[in-house]
Amino acid sequence: MKKLATGVVDWLDSRTGIKGILHEALYERVPGGARWRYVWGSALVVAFMTQVITGIFLWMAYSPSTQTAWESVYFIQHEMNGGWFLRGVHHYMSSMMVVLLAIHFAQVVWDGAYRAPRELNFVLGLILMLIVLGLSLTGYLLPWDQKGYWATNVGTELASQAPVAGGAIKKLAIGGSSYGHHTLTRFFALHAGILPGSLVAFLALHLWLFRRHGLTPKQPIKNPDAMFWPDQMLKDCVAALGIVGAVLVVTVYTQGAELTAPADPANNYAAARPEWYFLFLFQFLKWFPGELEIWGAFVIPGLIVAYMFLMPWIGRTKPGHVLNVLVLAVLLGGSAWLTVAAVQEDTLAGSPDATFEESGLADTEANRNAFAASLDFLKAKRDAHFEAERVVDLAKAVGIPPTGGLALVYDDPYLQGPKLFKQHCASCHNYEPLGNGLGDYAEQLKEAFRPFLTSEEQSEYEQKLNNLKYPKYFRADAIINPAPTAPNLYGISNGTWMSAWLDPKLIASKHLLGYEGSPFVDGDMMTFVVEAHENDPNNENLDDDVDVAFRKISRALMEEADFPNYLLDDSEASKSFREEGRELIIGGLADVLDSGMSCVDCHKFHDEGDLGSAPDLTGYMSRQWLIDFIRNPADDRFYPDTNDRMPAFAPHDNEQLNQLDDKTLGLIVDWLRGDWVRPEDTVED
Amino acid sequence: MAKKNKSKKMSESAAATETSSGADRRSFVAIVAGGLAMMGPIGAGVWSFLSPLFRKSSPPEVRVALLDQVPADGRPYFFPVVSDRKDAWTQYSQQKVGAVYLIRQPGEEIPTAFTAKCPHAGCSIGYSADEEKFKCPCHTSAFALDGKRVNGDEEVSPRDMDTLEVKLNPIEVADGESVTEVLVTFVDYQTGHKEKHPTS
Repeated sequence: MKKLATGVVDWLDSRTGIKGILHEALYERVPGGARWRYVWGSALVVAFMTQVITGIFLWMAYSPSTQTAWESVYFIQHEMNGGWFLRGVHHYMSSMMVVLLAIHFAQVVWDGAYRAPRELNFVLGLILMLIVLGLSLTGYLLPWDQKGYWATNVGTELASQAPVAGGAIKKLAIGGSSYGHHTLTRFFALHAGILPGSLVAFLALHLWLFRRHGLTPKQPIKNPDAMFWPDQMLKDCVAALGIVGAVLVVTVYTQGAELTAPADPANNYAAARPEWYFLFLFQFLKWFPGELEIWGAFVIPGLIVAYMFLMPWIGRTKPGHVLNVLVLAVLLGGSAWLTVAAVQEDTLAGSPDATFEESGLADTEANRNAFAASLDFLKAKRDAHFEAERVVDLAKAVGIPPTGGLALVYDDPYLQGPKLFKQHCASCHNYEPLGNGLGDYAEQLKEAFRPFLTSEEQSEYEQKLNNLKYPKYFRADAIINPAPTAPNLYGISNGTWMSAWLDPKLIASKHLLGYEGSPFVDGDMMTFVVEAHENDPNNENLDDDVDVAFRKISRALMEEADFPNYLLDDSEASKSFREEGRELIIGGLADVLDSGMSCVDCHKFHDEGDLGSAPDLTGYMSRQWLIDFIRNPADDRFYPDTNDRMPAFAPHDNEQLNQLDDKTLGLIVDWLRGDWVRPEDTVED
Repeated sequence: MAKKNKSKKMSESAAATETSSGADRRSFVAIVAGGLAMMGPIGAGVWSFLSPLFRKSSPPEVRVALLDQVPADGRPYFFPVVSDRKDAWTQYSQQKVGAVYLIRQPGEEIPTAFTAKCPHAGCSIGYSADEEKFKCPCHTSAFALDGKRVNGDEEVSPRDMDTLEVKLNPIEVADGESVTEVLVTFVDYQTGHKEKHPTS
């Protein structure tokens, strides 16, 4: 066996000279013996190898186009076996590489290892450093998520300001006048082809020259020389293990690299920041307002890099070397300080819900501005995390359409509703859960069913509610208008909202018809509800009857709304309440109430009653009803004579002529009705 | 005849240096030929690589709002700019390509349009209603309601907010009423310069 192996090696050697090459590679003399301080260069090689290996496997799953980049990274991150780990290692190793570069560079300058005859190798090292930074810049964009997109956008906008050819450079870099498919194909070609290819070439030169000159021993040499193999190699390998191990730990600890929501060219991500090792540049730029920016972005960094290239020649003399070390210290110290300052500025407010008054900062305009900027940053970051989580959950639940992940964002009432409501509705309407429990569903349902259930059923129902898992995205956050001039729309179309209209206190509150300047305060509906409760001769008993009747009506209307809530009870008992409710609406109520009136005396309900004096209750608050209402509240079906200031948002058949197009209208209505995808829609039995 | 002699003479006189100068000449030709050979593929690549520089596009005229949606109260109203857009091979119909603020002073008929893209680094400018200021979240640029920088040249933004050309387009709707569309010529301006330059 051994003979066979030797035979194969000899055969190979006679044709390739492999023995000599291996000997050359491994038996390099290390003056003064192996030392830990010599491991940094080989650590960088290991880091790069890690990037090549993980990068190639990522490449096998990545697809560079605006409709597939985020989507394929989503798939890597959330669906592929260990994809999150692969991507995490690639991500964190890139940071590690920058740290190692800084150490390697600092050590070479400190030791004066750039002196003749090693000047050229120092220059090669700097070129390698620039290539690595280029790799990290181009890699940041590839997931095509909000963070990478907007951070890179700021970077390329800066590039466009470069003197003379800036505009052309930007166009060539992004493959057109705005970001698109070709930005990704170009960045990817750079990231996976040109830059690593050049890196390999320059690395080969760097190592070749390194071997030619030998390493720069730490003086004075105390120990006898040793060979690279195995003494230094052992230390190098231990260091490699430590570095890769550290990256693996961070990857597992953080559950891999972040993937924010799909890039949205129309929605700026205010918390876009470059990768942490570029933060110092970002912070540095803040010192150069307006036209001065080219100084911060090009001239000064350009001069610094030029100085770095000249270090070997400046460092030929002792004072020159001291100057180099001083410059190095200033650069590293300055970058560290700027990085800390950037983080501090962003996190000044502490939390997105903080207020300036509580912050304890001196009340100056500068402090207020800084605080507000930080608050904007933290809010944008929180919103982005929220949106990212939502879109990933949607992708898992319903899959990504061929148009890409961004369509998930734009077609989701849960994400779009609040934005659209703020834009179109919130200047009049409030969207706020009420103390009476328009807020908490479980409490409300318990309350709503109270009079109808036998005690046995009651406890069974409560059991069911107690076991109910509140799924994610169960309800939307409040959007508060403290002085509304129209009804509160929170929980619209659910049973409790319906019953609120029949509650004398609630209907008269600012949340329904008692808002500022309401023409309905003395209207028929208000009078009807108030009198139904007040003018009650037999007092409490009958009041209960009225209550029960109203509850049944609200149940019936909830069914009318085709309420998209899975809590709609399907028991025989509930069905019969709703049936009774319908009977009450079409006339039965007249027997319960003193006034002898029922709903259809004013409202239309299916075949009963007439249009004209009050809104149609047929399909009340159903999707179509709401859409028609918002299209034109003054339509015959709604408030032909008594509409209070609500604009007709979409009265025309041609959507181009409307304030709201059909899609937007649908999104608003779905959101108001709570009709959005809840990926963990589960009610436990 | 003379010519022949001359050339013969020349070759004789060059005979001493024949080896070195001939090798030089061949090296030179080799480099040129090899270089030329590579120019083919490189040229083909560079030619197509440069194509973004030769593609021109004209800014779209977009309907951003109806005039009714911009009351003449001196307050800014935010509207997305939705337009057809082509990205390499993908044709997007009606995509959000940017956003504008429309402001109409009391008595004015035509609103002023500001693009929401910050002239500093291209972030999207927000509006703070309680401070009555436009504020960019990225590098804290602030603009007054007329688009002027709050701190003038001290501001990080090199110029005031970019205005866009606005046109009004009245349309007769079927029932005899008419609505007025607000059309904006949506130009994407380069950031970072004192002057406005379109990106394409």
